[in-house]
Amino acid sequence: MLACWQTCGYFNVFSNNVNKKTKKKHFFWQPFFLLKSELLSAMGRPAFHILVVDDESIIRQSLDAWLGDEEGYRVTMAASGAEALEKIAAAPFHLMLLDIKMPGMDGVTVLEKAKVIQPDLQVLMMTAYATVETAVEAMKIGAMDYLIKPFEPDALIPKVTAVYEAFREAGYRKETVGAIVLATGTTCFDPSVGKNPMGYGVVPNVVTSLAFERMLSGTGPDGGRLLRPSDKQPVKKAAWIQCVGSRDLQSGADFCSTVCCMFALKEAAVAKTVAGDDFQATIIYMDMRTFGKSFERYGQHTESTQGVRLERGRVHSIAPTPGSDDVAIRWTSASGEIHEERFDLVVLSVGQRPNARTASMAERLEVACDGFGFLKTAPFSDTRTGRAGIFAGGTLSGPSDIAESVIRASSAAVNASRTIHRAGGGLADKTAAPKTARDVSWEPPRILAVLCRCDTGTEMDLDLEAWSARLKQDPAVARVVNLDRICTADGWNALTQTDTTDVNRVLVGACRTFAYGKKAHGLTTAFGLDPALIETVAMDHHQGLGGPATVATIMAGISRLKNVSMEKNQGIAIVNRALVVGGGIAGMHAALAIADHGVDITLVEASEGLGGNLSWLHQTIDGTPIAPFLENTISQIEKHPKIEVMTDSRVVGAFGQAGHFFSTIETAGAPTMTVEHGAVILATGGVEAPTDAYGYGTSQAVVTQRELEIRIHENQLNTDGMTSVAMIQCVGSREEPRNYCSRVCCPTALKQALWMKSHSPDLQVYILYRDMMTCGLNEAWYTEARKQGVLFFQYEPNRKPEVSIDANEDMPVTVRLQDPILDAPVKITADLLVLATGIVLHLPETLTLAYGVERDRDGFFQEADSKWRPVEALKAGVFGCGITLSPRSIPEAVATAEAAAGRALAILMGERLPSARVTASVRHSLCTLCLRCIDTCPYGARFLDEAGQRVEVNPAMCQGCGDCATVCPNSASIVEGFSHRSLFGAIDGAMAM
Amino acid sequence: MQPHSATGSPTPDDGSTALDHVRNMVSACIQCGTCTGSCPNALEMDLTPRKMWRLVILERLADVMASRTFILCSACYTCTLRCPRGLPLTTAMETLKGIAFTRREARHRNSRLFYEKFMQTVRHHGRLHEMAFMTGYFTAMKNPLTPLRFAPLGMKLMGKGKVEMGFGKSAATHLDALFDKVAEIERAAAAPLEKESHA
Repeated sequence: MLACWQTCGYFNVFSNNVNKKTKKKHFFWQPFFLLKSELLSAMGRPAFHILVVDDESIIRQSLDAWLGDEEGYRVTMAASGAEALEKIAAAPFHLMLLDIKMPGMDGVTVLEKAKVIQPDLQVLMMTAYATVETAVEAMKIGAMDYLIKPFEPDALIPKVTAVYEAFREAGYRKETVGAIVLATGTTCFDPSVGKNPMGYGVVPNVVTSLAFERMLSGTGPDGGRLLRPSDKQPVKKAAWIQCVGSRDLQSGADFCSTVCCMFALKEAAVAKTVAGDDFQATIIYMDMRTFGKSFERYGQHTESTQGVRLERGRVHSIAPTPGSDDVAIRWTSASGEIHEERFDLVVLSVGQRPNARTASMAERLEVACDGFGFLKTAPFSDTRTGRAGIFAGGTLSGPSDIAESVIRASSAAVNASRTIHRAGGGLADKTAAPKTARDVSWEPPRILAVLCRCDTGTEMDLDLEAWSARLKQDPAVARVVNLDRICTADGWNALTQTDTTDVNRVLVGACRTFAYGKKAHGLTTAFGLDPALIETVAMDHHQGLGGPATVATIMAGISRLKNVSMEKNQGIAIVNRALVVGGGIAGMHAALAIADHGVDITLVEASEGLGGNLSWLHQTIDGTPIAPFLENTISQIEKHPKIEVMTDSRVVGAFGQAGHFFSTIETAGAPTMTVEHGAVILATGGVEAPTDAYGYGTSQAVVTQRELEIRIHENQLNTDGMTSVAMIQCVGSREEPRNYCSRVCCPTALKQALWMKSHSPDLQVYILYRDMMTCGLNEAWYTEARKQGVLFFQYEPNRKPEVSIDANEDMPVTVRLQDPILDAPVKITADLLVLATGIVLHLPETLTLAYGVERDRDGFFQEADSKWRPVEALKAGVFGCGITLSPRSIPEAVATAEAAAGRALAILMGERLPSARVTASVRHSLCTLCLRCIDTCPYGARFLDEAGQRVEVNPAMCQGCGDCATVCPNSASIVEGFSHRSLFGAIDGAMAM
Repeated sequence: MQPHSATGSPTPDDGSTALDHVRNMVSACIQCGTCTGSCPNALEMDLTPRKMWRLVILERLADVMASRTFILCSACYTCTLRCPRGLPLTTAMETLKGIAFTRREARHRNSRLFYEKFMQTVRHHGRLHEMAFMTGYFTAMKNPLTPLRFAPLGMKLMGKGKVEMGFGKSAATHLDALFDKVAEIERAAAAPLEKESHA
């Protein structure tokens, strides 16, 4: 079995022998972190494949019973030598039990032939007493042992076990590691196993969302055309059924799978573009949970612009329609009437489920799982398990979407790295520095032209010969080589092994895919030449090698190589410091994660103290107090030798680029200072949105969620004197101009309602909501709140509740709304009205301008890619975390902080950033100090030196646009790599037909 | 008195404590309507099951009692099977019947008498004795027109020999002990409800 423990900050992960007592009936599976272990280790005995060859069926059957049923191995039978050889040829086996005396082909012959097919096959001969000598002979030609018939299981099983153990141990690997990251994920819910299969596997044309993704795919079963499975007819009317296996206590899921609403919207929208305008898509949902960044807009766009029909309801029966392959489904609509409708195709939006193996993995690693089977994490973290040094990434700790999974993965990785750093370890060995390129700057150009031969044929050969002759006319071309198919492994080997000692520039002409592929970059190392001296050009084989396009590109390439300038861009020296703007929980955690790696941090906070929103938050929904967590974080920040905190401070301007920024910081009552840093993390957070709706500001009885939280925090809420509290969700949220979901308000409402219910059970709490956004594991709190008697009323944005306040009344607040279930007006009187106004971002314009950060439509930090690069800006070296990205809870903010820290460390842990791009420089001997370039530069990168004698360029600010080079009357201003000669040469070459 | 009310509808009376038991059963309801869609009798009901639960949650006992929905429940258990929250909906319907009969709601008099007489027959005869049941029910209804209303059905059943005539076979099958025990158990289980056995 497997054991692991922690010594001095290191885990030993290894296998030892099977416990002899439990061995017999134990099926093994092994955890996922055994690197490169074979299938055998992963699956145990069921993967150990034994072939039994005997002509007597009684022997075959009893061996099958002993080895298969009793011992758990995978056993296959063969009744003759010929059949055995066929089976060995079809699939490899671990062990063969082979009878010697068989009609047709005898055992020894079978052994000989089997060893040819599979030389490493272990063979155990079975022999009658009379043929023992033969068996001994068989051992000489490769059998491992023999058994004399008749034999008992006791004689056979130890021999088989020995072979199995030998195989199994060979498959194990012991690793000593400093930390473990678990990212084993979740599985899709399988509707067919539940109480209610929703027609899946029973009614034709009911598919899961995962299957539907395949149906839409260009590489799918129908080549991306949307055809229904039963009769391959085009789908014109499809329905998506939400919450299949989610929010369903009947199938043990008191959680929301978080992703299904969004993927259903996406699938419906994509299906509409694939299947045409007459395609009708219907999504039947319970709450449309568009809770993520820009999700709300996407949902509205899908409904209003793309015409996807959204129906609130839950489908209860799915049935085939007699005489056709359509699917009939029934649901109760929001207004109460029962709908029955036929669809060509029904898609079940299946949710996420914990992996069945997570529990046993967790047990072995001694980390805890929750009741559903997700990994339990520490309070305020989505990635720390209860055991130091073990972290979870992705969906393992609860359902999440792609962006959130990527964030958690980065967070888990950075935490693992911190663990190792704290224990005095380092990150993995750096790859060896690339071979330095030869200095050929003073040599005359000698070009090697390599042309790829794509197909064989005389026409091709003639073309290539013509090219050879033409290129050789140029004295700069030393040699021309033709190679076959560079895109294949052989061709690539031939290319990299081409002798380049006699030349100093290389031109490679190949087809488009190769020329622009990533592989071409590898040539620098192979040839020992600077990348600027290797040119790959695309040859258009379809139009013939004599075609104008090919001529132009090859000749331009040759000209460029001849005139290439060798000014070297040394790259940027990386400043080993990061600037974190914002001292809330996200900023602080980002700072700590980076500082733990030995990088200096400047933490700038605009207010007078650290803490941000956590300073007014009381406790989490599960009752964990927030103050100790905040105090602990602040004290870590204050004690950390690598962190410098600047409160009452603001960043007023910045310039520079990844690796080297210059930021100007203004501090109240102190001189302005400039900080040099290699990366910046923006964590300026957000605040509760202001409102004047529903009588807010006219009465003490109307408060926001934040004000209620503060009252609770400061013990100023006396629930005993109250009869009833009403809460209105989505105040000013999820509609223009604040058209996004703030994500935290629904759980906050539940938190406060449950808090009040626990303090005075008789207090009546009403929550008026549009869609309850209790994603992931928060769904259980929604269930709990209902169980505690909190009353929920759904309202539509076009029919909002009406509030009237009369301070003279006993209960001053009166709320009127239409209950959609009863379709009747309801009047609620309350002592207190709580408004969930959501979050507005606090991201000053000066910061976004200073660091070149773009904003999304709602003003939030625009990430480089919403899924795969969720915490970085398009501009390198600039990161965002916490609410700056989008509204989020404390653990989610901490995860983004750690993720941003991890991405920033990828830059900060280096010494130089490779020359990422071209910059301008000045030839001072030609410069007449006309200063036109200084006026022209749009980035302010040029300046006159202190003596006023030279124009200088700040390479950190220069963007290489070339404006300075075009205005310079003397060609004194140049952009590296774009000399006049090189550019004009390339144009001349391209024109030389 | 609850601080909410549906304007224009009768306000709930104070007997709603009886409803608390049912309310606890269905408080986790998310009003998805799966029960309504699943119910084979929903079309006959004046309130759909979903509305019924909503009224129970809102403690509107008078509105609940005015409805025939729970009487029409044929205890097929489809809603219980399909409810995504796993709520005991059939039991809740049954309990509502109990409340209505306990309160001797005028609207449900016929149903109550039907149930009572049915169980009475079973108690005396050990099985359903059609003739005894009919006689008991019609007598209890105190309406001479009732037998006439059932006459066509009765003739049909008699024609097929489905109604056993006479009053015999009752002496040896006393089930009093069993019925008393069940009543005792039910009283204990539903003590706060003060629900009398409608058996």
